[in-house]
Amino acid sequence: MRAILFFVLNAALMTPAFAHGGEGITGGFLGGLAHPLFGPDHIAAMVAVGLWGAFLGAPAIWLLPVVFPLVMAVGGVLGILGVPLPYVEIGIALSAVLLGMMVALAARPPLIVAAVLVGAFAIFHGHAHGTELPGGADPVAFALGFVVATGCLHLAGIGFGLLARWPSGRLAVRAAGAAIAVAGLVFLGQSA
Amino acid sequence: MPCSAEAHYVIEGVGGFPGGFLHPLLAPAHSLLLVGLGLLIGQQSARDRRILILLFVLAALGAIVAVAFAATADNADLAVLLAATLAGLLAAAGYRLPVVVPALIAAPAAAALILDSVPAVISPSETLLALAGSLIAAGAALFLVTAVTAEPQHQWQRIGVRILAAWIATVAILVLALRFTR
Repeated sequence: MRAILFFVLNAALMTPAFAHGGEGITGGFLGGLAHPLFGPDHIAAMVAVGLWGAFLGAPAIWLLPVVFPLVMAVGGVLGILGVPLPYVEIGIALSAVLLGMMVALAARPPLIVAAVLVGAFAIFHGHAHGTELPGGADPVAFALGFVVATGCLHLAGIGFGLLARWPSGRLAVRAAGAAIAVAGLVFLGQSA
Repeated sequence: MPCSAEAHYVIEGVGGFPGGFLHPLLAPAHSLLLVGLGLLIGQQSARDRRILILLFVLAALGAIVAVAFAATADNADLAVLLAATLAGLLAAAGYRLPVVVPALIAAPAAAALILDSVPAVISPSETLLALAGSLIAAGAALFLVTAVTAEPQHQWQRIGVRILAAWIATVAILVLALRFTR
């Protein structure tokens, strides 16, 4: 319950995706590392990817965290090249809603469906990052930083998701998924 | 691009052999390439691993000889990032490949890495010393990454390699795109 309360309060009190707006953080590795951590919607979705991967077990546990950054790169390239993508912030918020729901409902679709769903949302996350990238003083270090941060968020989700091996842990993981989905709804309300 | 072929010291005031030695380790694009290539080579058979590392060193040596004969390359940084992208993508796929495939990445990558490490405005002998340092550091780093990731004992190690490779490919793709917009 505490976790749910934390997520809901956090979501209600923070502005969605303000780290994607281009203000503030630019620069090298540390700037890139901090970039995803200042977007609560981004954090929620990344953790949900890890949670769902762990929940689905092998091969999803490694396939989803591999698919996500690679497809995110496609979205990032679109952002860097200035190709407009409509409803980016709504897409990011929706990713938290749907991925959180998948975990909460213990959904077990075919692997290809899970990969396509995660990949589709990765494009929105990548586009937001790609739009921000040109402001970085050192693009390689900046990109490295935010990809590492994204990966660490996946790992955090996977780590927590591994609790699903035990019945009470399974409940905790599904509750975390529900919390992420609720937080996603708040982000959605704020970005709509 | 921060790692373009312009005159650069990675650490201000450190030139010659030490500067060259530090260059591939501290220039982010070069580190990216060495780790990505190391992950890819680490997935190959023991025989192929030896061939590929030897090929990398020989290609780097060839590039140093070319530099001694005044060869230059304006877009070596682009080739470094392209090689990092390909190595990362192939390592993320996680297949054991015919040796010719990683060889086609390793040899140009080594040459590009050396050509992108050429310091400017110093004497030819100091340039060669710096490039010798770069060759030793790059070869050692590649060998280390390959040795650490080769023949993983556990499933999680294989998974970790593929995830890391995906990250490397992602970063390289993004920076390549950025390179083309400037």
